[in-house]
Amino acid sequence: MPKIFIDGKEIEFKQGQTIIEAAKDAGIDIPHFCWHPSLSVSGNCRICLVEVEKMPKLVIACSTIAAEGMVVYTQSQKTLAARNAVMEFLLINHPLDCPICDEAGECKLQDYAYEHSIGESRFVEEKVKKEKRVPLGPRVMFDGERCISCSRCIRFCDEIAKDPELTFVQRGDRVTITTYPGEVMDNPYSMNVVDICPVGALTNTDFRFKARVWEMSATKSICNGCARGCNIDIWVRNNEILRLTPRHNESVNSYWMCDHGRLNTFKFVNDSSRIDSPHIRKEGQLVKVGWDEAFAEASSRLKSFSKDEIAVIGSAFATCEDNYLVARFAKSVLGTGHLDFIHHNDPSFEDDILRRSDRTPNSLGAKLVGVRPSKNGLDFNSIIKAISERRIKALYLVEDDTIQNDPEIENILAKLDLLVVHSTNYNKTTDIADIVFPASTYAEKNGTFVNFDGMIQRIKPAVSTLEADRALEGMAMSRLDKFGTRWDRWAQGVKFDARPTWRIISGLSSVMGYKFKYNMAEEVFKDIASGITSFNHLDYDIIGEQGFKIKASVLEKEILE
Amino acid sequence: MEKILLPDIKNLHLIDVYVSNGGYNAAKKAFTQTPDDIIDQVKKSGLRGRGGAAFLCGLKWSFMPKTTDKPKYLCINGDESEPGSFKDRQIFEFNPHQMIEGAIITCYAIGAKTAYVYIRGEYHKWIKLLQKAIDDAYANGFVGEKMKETFGTNFFCDIFIHKGAGAYICGEESSLMNSLEGKRGYPRVKPPFPAQNGLWGCPTTINNVETIANVPKIIEKGWEWFSNIGHPKHPGTLLFGVSGHVNKPGVYELPTGTLLTDIIYKYAGGVPNNKKVLCVIPGGTSMPPIRGDKLEGVRMDAESLKEVGSAIGTGGVIVMDEDTDLVKVLARIAHFYHHESCGQCTPCREGTGWLEKILKRIIAGKGSVSDLDLLITVANQIEGNTICALGEAAAWPVKFMVERFRDYFEQRVSKEISLPVANKVHSMRQTAVPLADVKN
Amino acid sequence: MEFKFTQENLNRIEQETKKYPVRKPAVMAALYIAQEQNGYISYEVMKEVATVLGITEEEVLGVVTFYTMYHQKPMGKYHIQVCTNVSCMLRGGYEIWNQIKEKLGLDHMAVSADQKFSLEEVECMGSCGTAPMIAINEDYYENLSKEKVEEILNGLSATLSKEEGV
Repeated sequence: MPKIFIDGKEIEFKQGQTIIEAAKDAGIDIPHFCWHPSLSVSGNCRICLVEVEKMPKLVIACSTIAAEGMVVYTQSQKTLAARNAVMEFLLINHPLDCPICDEAGECKLQDYAYEHSIGESRFVEEKVKKEKRVPLGPRVMFDGERCISCSRCIRFCDEIAKDPELTFVQRGDRVTITTYPGEVMDNPYSMNVVDICPVGALTNTDFRFKARVWEMSATKSICNGCARGCNIDIWVRNNEILRLTPRHNESVNSYWMCDHGRLNTFKFVNDSSRIDSPHIRKEGQLVKVGWDEAFAEASSRLKSFSKDEIAVIGSAFATCEDNYLVARFAKSVLGTGHLDFIHHNDPSFEDDILRRSDRTPNSLGAKLVGVRPSKNGLDFNSIIKAISERRIKALYLVEDDTIQNDPEIENILAKLDLLVVHSTNYNKTTDIADIVFPASTYAEKNGTFVNFDGMIQRIKPAVSTLEADRALEGMAMSRLDKFGTRWDRWAQGVKFDARPTWRIISGLSSVMGYKFKYNMAEEVFKDIASGITSFNHLDYDIIGEQGFKIKASVLEKEILE
Repeated sequence: MEKILLPDIKNLHLIDVYVSNGGYNAAKKAFTQTPDDIIDQVKKSGLRGRGGAAFLCGLKWSFMPKTTDKPKYLCINGDESEPGSFKDRQIFEFNPHQMIEGAIITCYAIGAKTAYVYIRGEYHKWIKLLQKAIDDAYANGFVGEKMKETFGTNFFCDIFIHKGAGAYICGEESSLMNSLEGKRGYPRVKPPFPAQNGLWGCPTTINNVETIANVPKIIEKGWEWFSNIGHPKHPGTLLFGVSGHVNKPGVYELPTGTLLTDIIYKYAGGVPNNKKVLCVIPGGTSMPPIRGDKLEGVRMDAESLKEVGSAIGTGGVIVMDEDTDLVKVLARIAHFYHHESCGQCTPCREGTGWLEKILKRIIAGKGSVSDLDLLITVANQIEGNTICALGEAAAWPVKFMVERFRDYFEQRVSKEISLPVANKVHSMRQTAVPLADVKN
Repeated sequence: MEFKFTQENLNRIEQETKKYPVRKPAVMAALYIAQEQNGYISYEVMKEVATVLGITEEEVLGVVTFYTMYHQKPMGKYHIQVCTNVSCMLRGGYEIWNQIKEKLGLDHMAVSADQKFSLEEVECMGSCGTAPMIAINEDYYENLSKEKVEEILNGLSATLSKEEGV
């Protein structure tokens, strides 16, 4: 491989790479604002100017192609002078509103001011005034004064969202960004511009002024909005999710996620409709009970049916670990082969960017770990038919609101003698359930999802339930989590008494006389890995933060089986 | 002295007059030679660009790829927006056919089938004049498909005018191309250069109007003839536009290397009321100014001006007499570059405004000596750090004016001045002053 | 207000597009034609230009706001442009600027109440050798003095009152 030298360090590069790309691959970060690895090069911010031997002027690392033997200095006096110059220029007209700016704490301008700036401004003139608080669209707010005209948002709309809704207008230091008057930036990916904005010029209308970045913890997880499984960070303060942001994974979602996933897939976690502790229907009302009582009630009532009268529905919203135990529970504990999960397909949701018509995060995983009818077992539609014909009398339903999905099912389910439900929130199905177990949400547990493409990805708890302790469980901690006292405003977040489905199944099975010896989701996964070809030889460490892709040939064979 | 571009021939702008004076014979001659021959002759002639950078014209043409699947283009830069420059309009008005003839020869040499003449939008009149000349050239078979017949060649090309709409930056070649493509006139990051990746991603050559207008005469009279005119390293004549404090402002076609003092006193009639010259900008406002007491012996060509710390630019000579308020002049220049900065890259977008604001403050009597150093620093921080040369264009006049007239500027500012300081917030880190001692 | 090009102007735009391998570059000419037809470039005009050329309205907006000669509001019947750049400044450009400002009672980019006059301080127009200069609409007036300016302005007023008289 050809080599260049960066600050005396020999670095290999791929033919055609720019200096900044070669440096990045070698772990050297050359300061940049306008450059973004997934967008075209615009070269306008000039902060990546570096000195290159034999070149008469400094060059920008983002557009200069690396050439064999090139000698680059990112810390030379000339380079630093140019960097300081650019920083000083960027700051002269930039408002000093960091104390109330959402970007503070994750602002490149702030970071570079600290790292690369001379720490003094010689600008004593009046700053340029521009429009502030301009809604570019329903989900993104623009502050013209904070904008450094890097054009990342414009390029994102043009190149990634394929919807050129933004443009520069005017000239010189009057330049600003706008949509066409009367029109809004409302493409399904619009909020990504907030993430890639290197400053606080573009803010998330759902999150603005909600928190300082450093008050939140960030937990690496997976979006549950569709079968893409966009990699995300879950941002939590006071045990409450305040926002989701996309996390880079080139083979899944690159740097992006859709606005729907970002906004509509987390609010149920802290919603007042969450189910807190198990409930049993007594005299028509769901009544709060302890776990032991709920397990005992479920156990005795389930035992009153013959095996063929019971059906089990797993969930494409639940993890592989959850579904694995659901499948084993059905087959080994209840002895039924009437086992399936519900598909949620919405072709109108699909696009050729990220969104998939399968609106669940784990339908492939549920299938792979065995949530499907056995040889003579009934599939979902047949189960419903059997319920209406009173052949199935007891239904064990995990993490899916069947009735919301299909309102006509309500009358059919009413014919059941027993409906046991695992659910995170109250819904139309829990309204008619006999026993309700409170399930942890995807944001409260460890586990794995398999996306449409066979990518196995990990989710981790970001919000703690009653049974979990942030520190003991190794959860991400914010400053407030670490140092907050009970007199602090933000140290008393609500914790729900909920458990992951796999743990609920495990507890119930135990009462029914069948011991699963799992203390952690990871142990469940170990069994999945040893039992199911697609997962062979895997563990949580191998899956890691970027996922593990099941070979297409293996996957195909296993699905056909 | 024989004039190459603006000879004293009456009604030369009319096609019949042009033809009867030997017009379009150079093109005829060119088509009997190979494109490489033409490029070679222009190279040997030493013709350098007349748009500001004085780059070797033949060399630039030779950058065009010989083998390519893509169409090639010629752009002729008639944006003429550098303050102090008003020469191209003379060619449009008085000798348009020589430029048209130059365009078809150039197209032939570089293999372009289309030439665009980019003319600033304010030149309504000259656009009409050139369009008339182009129409006549088409009608007489000197341009377009009929060329084949007229010249007995397989080659033909078209010439179109693209009208600008008020943006100095579009005189910068890559910005010109973006404007021609119907976009905001943002300069492009180079490399790639136009010869590789120009208009619509195709190989493109961009030459100034005056440069192109020289080509027919070089072909007609030979490169040796041309290379012997004026300064050997920057041969030919230049259209010097003389403005400001002279008795006879106007455009003078003179050989390169002509003494600046001759231009001012001999041709432009000297300074009104015999006042002394305080300052001369020799090549349009973006070029470093020369002190009035340093004019003696200065010759007007790229090489000689480099030696005295300036540059030939567009040959627009602006003369300022001893009563001129240089601070106001500089503030006006700074205003211009601030107004015209496209706003794409940081140093120019932010720096040009800053320069203007400091100068305006000095005019308002609120400047101090340290502001003079600040002006130079800000100019230095723009220079070399921008996407295009507007950075230098904005920085040079400020930097060199303040440096070369330091005494003058110091008289205009106070020794020290106390200003309400807006941005000392994070200065503590650098100075590490104990908090208790920090005032303001 | 909705804007539609006249058929003649549509033909002119089509003619312009033929200069280029794609339609987009004709945006600059189309905007001039639109400004001529409509007096100024409104958002409706930009929309129509975008439609006619098959480009986005955002692109048109970006172009309109980049170039100074496209006006986003109606200018006066006589749009007076005064150069105050260096060469004109040295020969009295600012005196003329102030003279016209006072005479018309207008400032930079202002339009008179009767829509007859508008004023703009412009950058170098390329008349340095014939400075000072002004341009009225598309025509240059060069080698000016205060007296000549007075004469020109009076001439315009006279023309206006004659027209109104008719």
